[in-house]
Amino acid sequence: MAEPRASGQDGPVSDQGSLAVETRDLWFSFSGGGPVLRGVDLDAARGQVTVVLGASGSGKTTLLKLLKGLLAPQRGSIRVLGRTTSPGGRGIRLDAAVAYIPQNLGLVRNLTVLENTLTGALGRMGALPALLMAFPPEWIKEATGFLERLGIAHKLEEKVYNLSGGERQRVAIARALMQRPQLLLADEFVSQLDPVTTVSIMDSVRETVVTGLTVIMTTHELDVVARYADHVAVLRDGQKVLDLPAAEVNPRLLSQVIKV
Amino acid sequence: MNRSSLGARLAPLLLVGLLAVSLANVGLLDPQRLGRGVMNIGVFTSAMFPPNLGVLETVALAILETLQIAFVGTVVGAALGLPLALLATQTLFGPWLTGGVRLVLAIVRTIPALLWGIIFVVALGLGPGAGSLGVGLYSLGYLGKLFYEIFEGVDAEVLEAVRSVGCSRVQLARFALLPEAANNLLAQLLFMFEYNVRASSIMGFVGAGGIGYYMLGYIQLLRYDALLTSILVTLVVVIAIDYGSARLRRLYLPETRRLS
Ligand SMILES: Nc1ncnc2c1ncn2[C@@H]1O[C@H](COP(=O)(O)OP(=O)(O)OP(=O)(O)O)[C@@H](O)[C@H]1O
Ligand SMILES: [Mg+2]
Repeated sequence: MAEPRASGQDGPVSDQGSLAVETRDLWFSFSGGGPVLRGVDLDAARGQVTVVLGASGSGKTTLLKLLKGLLAPQRGSIRVLGRTTSPGGRGIRLDAAVAYIPQNLGLVRNLTVLENTLTGALGRMGALPALLMAFPPEWIKEATGFLERLGIAHKLEEKVYNLSGGERQRVAIARALMQRPQLLLADEFVSQLDPVTTVSIMDSVRETVVTGLTVIMTTHELDVVARYADHVAVLRDGQKVLDLPAAEVNPRLLSQVIKV
Repeated sequence: MNRSSLGARLAPLLLVGLLAVSLANVGLLDPQRLGRGVMNIGVFTSAMFPPNLGVLETVALAILETLQIAFVGTVVGAALGLPLALLATQTLFGPWLTGGVRLVLAIVRTIPALLWGIIFVVALGLGPGAGSLGVGLYSLGYLGKLFYEIFEGVDAEVLEAVRSVGCSRVQLARFALLPEAANNLLAQLLFMFEYNVRASSIMGFVGAGGIGYYMLGYIQLLRYDALLTSILVTLVVVIAIDYGSARLRRLYLPETRRLS
């Protein structure tokens, strides 16, 4: 495993080559509400872990949904993986290269661990085989491999509603990896886990980052920032109030910026 | 005294007045008529006993037909109702399609099962085929609505998560909506079948098959003892069905079992 923060200490983001995510002057409000995001510029370098911090209601989840294309901004531009995203209607397929793990994971409780993981491959599957749940054997092998690495392969056939919080988190990661993503958006990633599980899960994510995955995650855990982040951005009331390499921030600064 | 509290005091008085007028108009304030009614019920009841067991075989065959009408009707209603419910689900399709399908379902629902029975007797001729289709269309109207409401109650985060893998709408329905909704769909389906057994038992009144045909005949021929036999048999079967579906529910809906 690579040394955590190794890439974060290399220097300014611009030296890292192209950006995985680039937003400019992003404004968003839900219909009938005031602005939730106000002019956010966010850059995330490829192959880095960017952590978005902010108090409850500051707009973190909304920002991730905009990046995924689940919401459309009223103003501003979003480039993800070099493409300008233009969120489409209900019928448009979203980009499988961008994986999204929502705050409560969004697993299908009535499907098994393996089935939930295989769901990640639907983007490259035809309509008929998908309807019949006829997944090619090599995908089942791939999924089982991810689940083994995440330490949950012994529960392949277990329905998700029987799993603990930490086990569910692993399944959600496996489903995301099954998308063969270049960018992982993870909301409140390790918030419901005990410290030991947090470390083991973050380590496996970090391992994947070594292979070139870009991660943008939100969290309330400042420990996670210190151990795993390359870059930190802080939102307050929908505005970006801090944007620094992780090496240049310390917990005292962070809690000051977040709370006020 | 202000206007709203005056209104609040007058409302009950108005309601009582309205009830008195309505009772008079439907003939329930006529003491002579009520007295005659009580006597008639007495005569009717004594003529019912003892139940005529000679018609048991006829009645048993007829109740079997009633059950088949209910079964076929429920299956027809569900088979047509499920795809229509998906087309009426706003998380999958736009307002024009969902609105149109909902309108069709609402129109189907305004026509009572018995009237559907008459329509199909006219179209197909007398017999249980007409009854089955009558129950089927009626069930379609209700199951369609119940099903799309279930689909729209599915956790939005699960849908967002599965949409994010880049799947199509058909895949989203197959891998997120249906499995998440399965338990509720089954519960409503069982409920519909229970209801349809009752609805099917009067289909015979309009010549659409089942035990109702005999009940009506026994009433017209003043064979109240035979009528009692058919009522008792229906009662036993309805109770047995309710018991059976409660068992099924416990067998197939483990989550409801865990909650209780
Ligand atoms: N569907 C919605 N409709 C209307 N307003 C919403 C909706 N979702 C979120 N909001 C509002 O947008 C603001 C930002 O919400 P968001 O979920 O992005 O915050 P967050 O930073 O993720 O908070 P938390 O840390 O509690 O998850 C909040 O004020 C919230 O009330
Ligand atoms: Mg959030």
